[in-house]
Amino acid sequence: MKTSMRKIATGLATVAALMTGQTATADNNIEGKRVIFVPITMGISLTEGWARRMREHAQVHGYTIDVRDAAFNTSIMSELLAKAIADKPDMLVVHNPTVQLLARQIRQAEQQGIPVLQINLQSNQSSTAFVGANWERIGREIAEDIVKECGAGSGKSGKVAVIPGQLTAADSVIMNEAAFAVFEAGGIEVVSNQASDWEPEKARQITSTVLQQNPDLCAIFGHWDVHTMGAGNAVNDAGKADDVLVYATGGGDAVTCKAIEDGILDRVWSYDADGQGRDAGTLIDLVLQGARNESGMMIAESPLKVIKGGADYDAGLCWKM
Amino acid sequence: MTLITDAIGKMLGQRNILEVVVLGVNVALIIAFAILVDGFATLGNLSVILSNSTPLAILSCGMAVVIISRGLDLSIIAVMVAGATTYASGIEAGLPGGLALLITAAAMITVGMVNAWLIAFAELPAMLATLASAMVIMGLFRFAILQGEFMLLLPKSNSAVQILTTDILPGISVPIVVTAVVLVATWVLLSRTIVGEIIYAMGDNFAAARLSGLPVRPVTVVIYVWAALMAMLAGLLISSASGAVDFRMVTNGSLLFDVILVVVLGGIPLRGGRGGLRNIILGVALIAVLRNGMTLMNVTTQTQDVIKGIVLLVAIATENFLNPRDIETDTVGDL
Repeated sequence: MKTSMRKIATGLATVAALMTGQTATADNNIEGKRVIFVPITMGISLTEGWARRMREHAQVHGYTIDVRDAAFNTSIMSELLAKAIADKPDMLVVHNPTVQLLARQIRQAEQQGIPVLQINLQSNQSSTAFVGANWERIGREIAEDIVKECGAGSGKSGKVAVIPGQLTAADSVIMNEAAFAVFEAGGIEVVSNQASDWEPEKARQITSTVLQQNPDLCAIFGHWDVHTMGAGNAVNDAGKADDVLVYATGGGDAVTCKAIEDGILDRVWSYDADGQGRDAGTLIDLVLQGARNESGMMIAESPLKVIKGGADYDAGLCWKM
Repeated sequence: MTLITDAIGKMLGQRNILEVVVLGVNVALIIAFAILVDGFATLGNLSVILSNSTPLAILSCGMAVVIISRGLDLSIIAVMVAGATTYASGIEAGLPGGLALLITAAAMITVGMVNAWLIAFAELPAMLATLASAMVIMGLFRFAILQGEFMLLLPKSNSAVQILTTDILPGISVPIVVTAVVLVATWVLLSRTIVGEIIYAMGDNFAAARLSGLPVRPVTVVIYVWAALMAMLAGLLISSASGAVDFRMVTNGSLLFDVILVVVLGGIPLRGGRGGLRNIILGVALIAVLRNGMTLMNVTTQTQDVIKGIVLLVAIATENFLNPRDIETDTVGDL
């Protein structure tokens, strides 16, 4: 699922639209419109941060954001989305847990004339708009950094453990595909690739077991900072904080910076959830006003911030709720 | 078929046949992993198996006592997370570890008593009562204490967290010592107390136990408070080790499945009245070895769940074949 040139061009066009405020067909009065947001769960900084910024935009323009919390339950999420479609809102914002789960419903909503904004995690089904991280780029950049730190000439073993959230989640699928291509070319040995179900405790147990089998492990690549903290704690408990680099990705709130300060995580590729929330709010404004990309999805790619421990550490790269 | 099972039963004496089968499977797995999996047969890996299985062993001690009494506690993981949440909130508010622990224990005893009241006094089926209470506990603690957050991160630098993960001696950590104490306490409760005798009597024939004047209601309170306290201990150890209190452990459901798996595989029948400490250790050992070996073999988490499910099915089918139900075992209220 590599980002095509067409998508990049579309993304640039969207950014241009965001900057100039020009839309395809202008209908500036969006007061009273209804937007329904169906996240994987509320109660985590990522989605709370998005919702906060989206609500700010809604308040400015006088439309409503109705949040339907699936609380990490995928079957409930399908039901909530079905109900949301039946409610015929003016727009839907969907946070996909896997590439497949909501694809059919997203197509159904679009067919019924309800524009769908997919946020951060994309499904196989394209829709009106997407705002979020470029997972291919994150996977590739982290893998390149790992090759530099652990690959040939580094004097390290070249052994890496990958801890995805779920093997079928969009971010994990795309990041693994990109990272494994770099690892293969860079002579990195992936000794473990086991999903944690996004749970810190499972990540901890996997890491403690893998460290036992591979005491010369060089790096851990966790696909989400929250569950990777469990892995980082296992590394610290094994007394290997100086030997094993712990990489993660995440929304980059203050908790991430605290984990880096505490030496639980070493390097985090942040997609800045706060900025994503603002971008999502802007895209919602534009789509409600009638903006469309006739040749594909409108894409707003999130700029990345790399938060590193040690001398390069900068607490200002994280945001607070 | 009866002849075959009778013959096997005589060959193995009066022991629980499933227990012997599981022991055999466990030994076979250990030998196979030791030969095939690099890094399995090492002292370091034994230490990892022990430390990773401590929460499961403690939870299983709670669940085993409930199941032996012919009950079921589906709220045990919710109680575990609720306990960890209370403790974490206490130390986050600046309370000393000891006081936070006392408050947590008081809260979990209350939760256990509510469960027991629903079952013993309101006379709701244990499965439904604890399923409902799991939802109430989850919602109440998540929204009242965590203000809707799904997760609370624990600072491992805090001494009240550190003390739960430190090594007392090289290779012997606090969680291992706590687990050993819990195992001994479970043995004492079940085998050396009057309450233990009543628990077996309730599991064997609840109506007879009640009609004969045994204090089944007070003992039900002891059983569910015991389960809640075990859940609390497991929660404290898990959250201290991983640095997080995570409500998804309740919604994911895989830990609850593992706990029931341990109890059933160890040879404690869901119809109650049988089993003891040996069965808990056997069940925990099988799951811990299986999980460790599969992780070392880089088997995906989802595949591990499938394999554990198959193991459970095979165990139940084997038990049914070797130990077919009869008038004595096939009683009203079987799960």
